Amino acid sequence: MSIKAEVVNDSTFNITIGERFDFSLVTEFRNTYEDLDPRVNQIDIDLSATQYMDSSALGMLLNMQKVLAERQLTYRILNTRPQIARILQISRFNKKFEIQ
Amino acid sequence: MVKILIVDDEEINRIMLREILSEAGYSDFIEAGNGREAVEVARQHKPDIVLLDVIMPGMSGIEAAPQIKASSPDCYLPILFITSLDDEQSLVKCLESGGDDFISKPFEKIILHAKVKAHERTRHLSLEIQDKNQSLTYFQLEVERNHHIVEHIFDNAIGRNPIITDYFDFYTQPEAQFNGDLFLCEQSPSGGVYLFIGDFTGHGLASAIGAIPVAQLFTAMTLKGLAVGEMASRLNRLLVNLLPADMFCVASILEIHANGKNFTLWSGGLPRLAVKTPEQEIRLLIDPQHMPLGILEEHEFDNQTQYFETEWGDTLLLYTDGLMESHHKELGMLGEEGVEQWFTRNSQVNAQLLVDKAELYRAGEAAEDDITIVLFRSRPFQFKLPELLAEPIPFNLSFHLTAQHIKDAEVIDQVVAIVNSIPGLAAIRSELFTVITELTNNAIEHGILGLSSELKAEPEGFIEYYEQRRERIEQLEQGDIWITVQRLMPDNVLEISMQDSGPGFDAASLKNCENETFGRGFVLIRELCQSLQIFDSGKQIKVILPIAPIIDDADITS
Repeated sequence: MSIKAEVVNDSTFNITIGERFDFSLVTEFRNTYEDLDPRVNQIDIDLSATQYMDSSALGMLLNMQKVLAERQLTYRILNTRPQIARILQISRFNKKFEIQ
Repeated sequence: MVKILIVDDEEINRIMLREILSEAGYSDFIEAGNGREAVEVARQHKPDIVLLDVIMPGMSGIEAAPQIKASSPDCYLPILFITSLDDEQSLVKCLESGGDDFISKPFEKIILHAKVKAHERTRHLSLEIQDKNQSLTYFQLEVERNHHIVEHIFDNAIGRNPIITDYFDFYTQPEAQFNGDLFLCEQSPSGGVYLFIGDFTGHGLASAIGAIPVAQLFTAMTLKGLAVGEMASRLNRLLVNLLPADMFCVASILEIHANGKNFTLWSGGLPRLAVKTPEQEIRLLIDPQHMPLGILEEHEFDNQTQYFETEWGDTLLLYTDGLMESHHKELGMLGEEGVEQWFTRNSQVNAQLLVDKAELYRAGEAAEDDITIVLFRSRPFQFKLPELLAEPIPFNLSFHLTAQHIKDAEVIDQVVAIVNSIPGLAAIRSELFTVITELTNNAIEHGILGLSSELKAEPEGFIEYYEQRRERIEQLEQGDIWITVQRLMPDNVLEISMQDSGPGFDAASLKNCENETFGRGFVLIRELCQSLQIFDSGKQIKVILPIAPIIDDADITS
């Protein structure tokens, strides 16, 4: 599993990333939200399995927000491991994402 | 062939007996003229039936009978006394000395035939039993020997480190009673702990056997610090290949962070996990999400994990279904709710107490399944990290990547895998991944391929950027990257140098771009590393990365 995406409870779009979140996932990640259900008002990115992350992953997350800028969406990043939380913290992602 | 020993001092009697018995089809006879001779012959020739005269010169039949019996200690040897005596006292003496029956003189053919035949049957049965006893003894010894061997292997394969088990209160059945339950715990490279609690279908040696490969693989994976979901996938693959179709392993894999309160769980079929607060209130109940290990093929298998947090002082309870399936004649099965009630009603609850309560509840009935119980009081782990035990030695690792390597999509993975395989670096594997990936991508994308990060500023440009990257890599004919990774002592840091054959770049352009989709790589490297230096107008970058586990901010403040 590298990426798994599904709509849960009608309005939450859940994206689960695998062990690595790096530039090899650029296209696959972009495709997950290509035809996003109009009812969705929240996107959850689940990083519970993710151990490795690079800056292109940060780019992918920000790019998603840019592409979907016209929609009123809230974004959450869930279940980060300490090492990953540190990367998000260094990059000040808490300004744009709710990090849990 | 039945061998008959005829003992009589009068030859005429011996001849008559032979004649009569020959008529009944017997042909293998041995003879003796007195008691002493009879004992000797019996020892040598091992007869099946003995016809023994009572009164003989030298040693009488009554004296000889016990010694003749002794020549066949493991198997019934019928002794029939030949006698013309008819006083009760003498007959009793014959029986007491080991006789089994009488043949009276003068001989009556039909009675004699019938009696010999009857004793032959008993002798035959006894021989069969002796034969089976021997086989049984042999098998028993073999099973014992095998158990000893397997027990030895088990002890070695499933050794639990007391430094880790000290943090847990647990109950497992003695290993000598091979059972289908398995409890493993290992330290993680980042200072936390991995647990495996499993329950193979069935009982006994057959179900215990699966524990060995699981333990070996689990230990190997904990050394590498693999993610819980990845562990689940690999264990599942192992068991699908190994186990017969009707056998599987109900299991939970739990990673506890070094701070003792962040958990990652993959759970396949074990009873739900419970967490209680110090006030004895249930804080969390976490249901299993998956099918057991060893059932689903790789493409069907789901390695999704659950993440949860506790507070220090909370108690976590994990157990196999042998506990909740404890059965009471009237109250029925204990169930998860029953276990949780016991768990929360007593602030001093421990694994042995739960086992004892279950035994009382069953009211003397044996447990139907194996029982394993693990309790953990949430608190930080304070292990001495393995790399601090011995003084590390410095090393210098260098790579030279040419265009051919750069074209390979897996090249960065390979470099990271090689560096991460160095003992002692597992604790910073995530940081190493990020730093090496950033530096190498920077060298490839900007140094060799000449891509411009500014492209990434627009939403569609982001994808365009990676499109261009792919195209230029395909067309790439020349380019070199030199990477060196050195461990510097006594500071115990890694110096990573990345040099490329490209034209270099303007380092000033990287400043102040934190809110953009690019330039983040450098921000990350600067934060993760002690220092970052750019040489030769951007053609070479050197960073210093400390080799120590990262300290969670939460741990410092609390």
